[in-house]
Amino acid sequence: MNTNAIPAQTPAVSASNVAMQFSDLMAVKDANFELENGRFLTILGPSGSGKTTLLRMIAGFLKPTQGQIFINGKEVNAVAPNKRSVGMVFQKLALFPHMTAAQNVAFPLKMRRFDAKKIPARVLEFLNLVRLDGLENRRMNELSGGQQQRVAIARALVFEPDLLLLDEPLAALDRKLREEMQLEFRRIQKELGVTTINVTHDQREALVVSDQIIVMDNGEIQQDASPTQMYRTPHNPFVANFIGVTNLFDGKLMSASAEGAEVHVGDLTLSGILRSSSDASVLGSQARCAVRAEQIRIAAAPDALGTLDLTFQGVVKDVIFEGERLLYELSVPELGDEPVRIFHHDQNDFATHDVGETVHIGWMNRDLHIFVAS
Amino acid sequence: MPIDKTFNRRQLLKTTATVGAAGVFVASAPSILRAAEPDKPSEIIVRAWGGPWVEALKNGVSDRFTAETGIRVIHDLTEDNEIQPKVWAAVAQGRTPPIHINWDTTTNATKSALRGVCEDLSDLSNIPGTTDLAKPVGVDGYPIVNTYGYVYVLAYRPSAFPDGPPKSYHDLLDPKFKGRLAFYNDGIGFHFPAQVAGGGSLDGIPDAMDPAWEFITKMKDQNPLLGEDPDFVTWFQNGEIDAACTISTNALGAKKNGVDIAWTVPDEGAKFDTDGLWIPKGHSEGDLYWSKAYINSALTKESQQIWLDGLGLPGVVPGLTPPPGMAGDPAYPTKPEDFERLIRISGQIQVENESDWFSKFKTIMQG
Amino acid sequence: MQRSPSSYPIIWRVMDVLETTFAAVWPKGGGKFTPYLMLTPAIVLVGTLVVGLLYIGDSSLRVLDRSTFLFSDYWTLDNYIRALSEPFIFTVVWRSLLGAVIVTIVTLMLAFPYAYIMVRTPSSFVRKFLLIALFLPFFIGQVVRAYGWLIILGNQGIVNDVLGLVGVEPLRLLFNYPAVLFGLVQYMLPFGVLMLAPALTAIPEEIEAASGSLGASWVKTMTHIVLPMAKPGLIGAGLVVLTLSLTDFAMPAILGGGTQDFIANAIYDQFFRTSDQGFGSTLALLLIALGSILVGIIFAVFGAGTLALDGSRK
Repeated sequence: MNTNAIPAQTPAVSASNVAMQFSDLMAVKDANFELENGRFLTILGPSGSGKTTLLRMIAGFLKPTQGQIFINGKEVNAVAPNKRSVGMVFQKLALFPHMTAAQNVAFPLKMRRFDAKKIPARVLEFLNLVRLDGLENRRMNELSGGQQQRVAIARALVFEPDLLLLDEPLAALDRKLREEMQLEFRRIQKELGVTTINVTHDQREALVVSDQIIVMDNGEIQQDASPTQMYRTPHNPFVANFIGVTNLFDGKLMSASAEGAEVHVGDLTLSGILRSSSDASVLGSQARCAVRAEQIRIAAAPDALGTLDLTFQGVVKDVIFEGERLLYELSVPELGDEPVRIFHHDQNDFATHDVGETVHIGWMNRDLHIFVAS
Repeated sequence: MPIDKTFNRRQLLKTTATVGAAGVFVASAPSILRAAEPDKPSEIIVRAWGGPWVEALKNGVSDRFTAETGIRVIHDLTEDNEIQPKVWAAVAQGRTPPIHINWDTTTNATKSALRGVCEDLSDLSNIPGTTDLAKPVGVDGYPIVNTYGYVYVLAYRPSAFPDGPPKSYHDLLDPKFKGRLAFYNDGIGFHFPAQVAGGGSLDGIPDAMDPAWEFITKMKDQNPLLGEDPDFVTWFQNGEIDAACTISTNALGAKKNGVDIAWTVPDEGAKFDTDGLWIPKGHSEGDLYWSKAYINSALTKESQQIWLDGLGLPGVVPGLTPPPGMAGDPAYPTKPEDFERLIRISGQIQVENESDWFSKFKTIMQG
Repeated sequence: MQRSPSSYPIIWRVMDVLETTFAAVWPKGGGKFTPYLMLTPAIVLVGTLVVGLLYIGDSSLRVLDRSTFLFSDYWTLDNYIRALSEPFIFTVVWRSLLGAVIVTIVTLMLAFPYAYIMVRTPSSFVRKFLLIALFLPFFIGQVVRAYGWLIILGNQGIVNDVLGLVGVEPLRLLFNYPAVLFGLVQYMLPFGVLMLAPALTAIPEEIEAASGSLGASWVKTMTHIVLPMAKPGLIGAGLVVLTLSLTDFAMPAILGGGTQDFIANAIYDQFFRTSDQGFGSTLALLLIALGSILVGIIFAVFGAGTLALDGSRK
């Protein structure tokens, strides 16, 4: 869609020093990002992180108190929502209960003065796209939750907007339906090639559907990267902790170089890769180490671990069966009081460690991320 | 019904005090009371109009009655037309009526008399001493005793009539009075003068009243205001109207409030009517006896003088002193010639027809 | 976690007392009928009304004999014939009906924006101000308010004083049909707003935002989304205002200057001025019938479901 004359290098959406202040609350601070045409961006963050505020500014419901938002290179700060070419799927869907599915989908076409003769065909086309053919005359209270989602998507897309915004529309769904709809969003987005911005607090959803992820916390953009980059090279402890299950250890930075760094945690020295580009990478300053639960190996005997850079002994405190994997919680005295969490996927090794059993764990130094406190 | 609530209470108290100081209290227990007296009730209930009305009744009749007999008098201020259905229902169901004595318009009281719910009062010892006015017209005997009369005068604002008082209701048809006139909303008091003004005769009431309706139709084009007693005083005070057909007491009330106002009886005449007292059936012998004694005491000259000084109206015993400024006033008729210009229609004819007259009047005025 | 017994909601205690009483009266228990026991007061109340109506119905069939002021001991339709043939009654009925419809339309037109702003304003100060401005006249009462208008709109009232400053002769603003309707609208406005506000609150703001993002201007959002979704509130408010206006007594009596009687005024006259309870009852039944027909028409046109009485709705 939108194969018009916009130069390839012009981002579909960009934000420049955007801020939003509500009386005494700074909801969004100095946000900058760019989104390429046709890409799927997810803004990820806990509730209160400012992600919805940022989305509502892009939609035009809020006017930034500072900075500029561009859509296809044009500044849109002062453009009303109904004058923007933006389709939005709302958190509570905001479907019109007094209209049928087809009327809901036809609504934006009528409001945007489409050729009235072409409206019915277009409506059917988009209802087909979201696989609702045959349900066009149902009212909203006659549709299931998933079907309502599809009406909302069709309604947001039917007028072929430059931009599709998703304001956590899947948050209220049960997990199975949510995962189904995530894939559905992905499919439709790819099919139409529409530039999309999705807001969610579900890190799994962000990893699954996105081309690009922005993690927000406390009104600030923490990292703007592709899903794999986000996962592999988190910029700070918040991102490391928010995406995936991560073990954190606090200590003092002892050495730092491009190849690696060393941190004293208690009596131990942990080696890893310095992720922080902070100028405060001064030796002796506070540092935080992060290692993901799935990157720690676990075995009954040390030799069963294979080649690892660092190994410990621990006692199993709890075993949680999660279906495709096990989550072990271990007490490792050398690593402090906090339990160490480990994912274990080895099918043949299932349930071999019981609570109270002494086990051996270890990781590779390249999997330990080191952040220096700023 | 009546009238305005703006009587000057201070005036009333002053009058009472004067009379009291003169020591005019004469124990006037009627002869029938000296016969075997039944047991006294501890109290009797008299329905009255509120404000200055009940004040005047209390000073003139109730307090004197209590002093004389020791029976407490309770004044029930339920509206006259709202007590009527309750009394009728009580009598019909053989219950004790809610009141002992009803102070009522003679017209309304006549309905009750026709319905047969009134005790006969013919044997009151003071009736022989009253004028003809006390006798209700159109009913047998004394189911009601009239206690005073009043006139539906033509009240006017002198500044609106620089050439002197209006002589006739025809004078009100002048276009400059459009929207500046007022009548009762059912036309009461105006039907009869309108009959004369329309060229008809009083003998044509109630059978040949077309002249009245024609004249009222002409009057309708003047767009008059239609109201109830309190409205007239307010309208005169607020400068809404220049002339009105209303009970003299309302005009007097407005005048006492400082409004420049006068009243007259026009060539067509003015409706004269009376108020009275009656006792509903269904009371015990003792209660009936002492209720009659109350009405009897209201017919003494002394009681009438105090009561009616408060109301500014002519009584039904001879020799009363008119209130200040009312002597010779057309609204205070005492001599036979005073009555010549007043129209008095029998209560029976009125009650039998007023529903139709009201309806006809409203049809014309609200059509 | 120990909680003191006093922390139970008071309604639980009321229910406990009711249940204990019921168990004592009827030890076997009423089974599934027990909940319906709560309806007893309402049924007694409605029953009393029905008995009253039967009495009125009986009265309406008896004519007054004006030579004895007793009612006929036989039934006759004379009162109904009179009601349908008397031009004055037709005038009054038509005036009441037309007035009620006009007042309803105007009230809804004024109440809608008022309620909308009250519900949607982000400023709690504005909301409180609007609420107080709404409730203050509510507490004052209809009669006092009507007298207030007499003072404000009278020949020597504030409005004419201001007009006098610009050289306009005093205008007769009172004692006519518009004055009555004006007073009624002012009286009905709080009812309208209070009935509309919950309906508007029930419309999520997100719906309006959605409409805007889909390309609808503010006006189109109002006409296509908010108004249709507020329909139950509009119908409810309309019903209340319509029936209250149709049956009003005080405004026509006070602001009409005796020339603008509504049906209730005509009924009052029959009961209390001409002592004809028979004809008065006939007019009262006529008024009840008229009101019921109007409500019936509204239900027929819009459906009872618009009041959210439709059980199938989720």
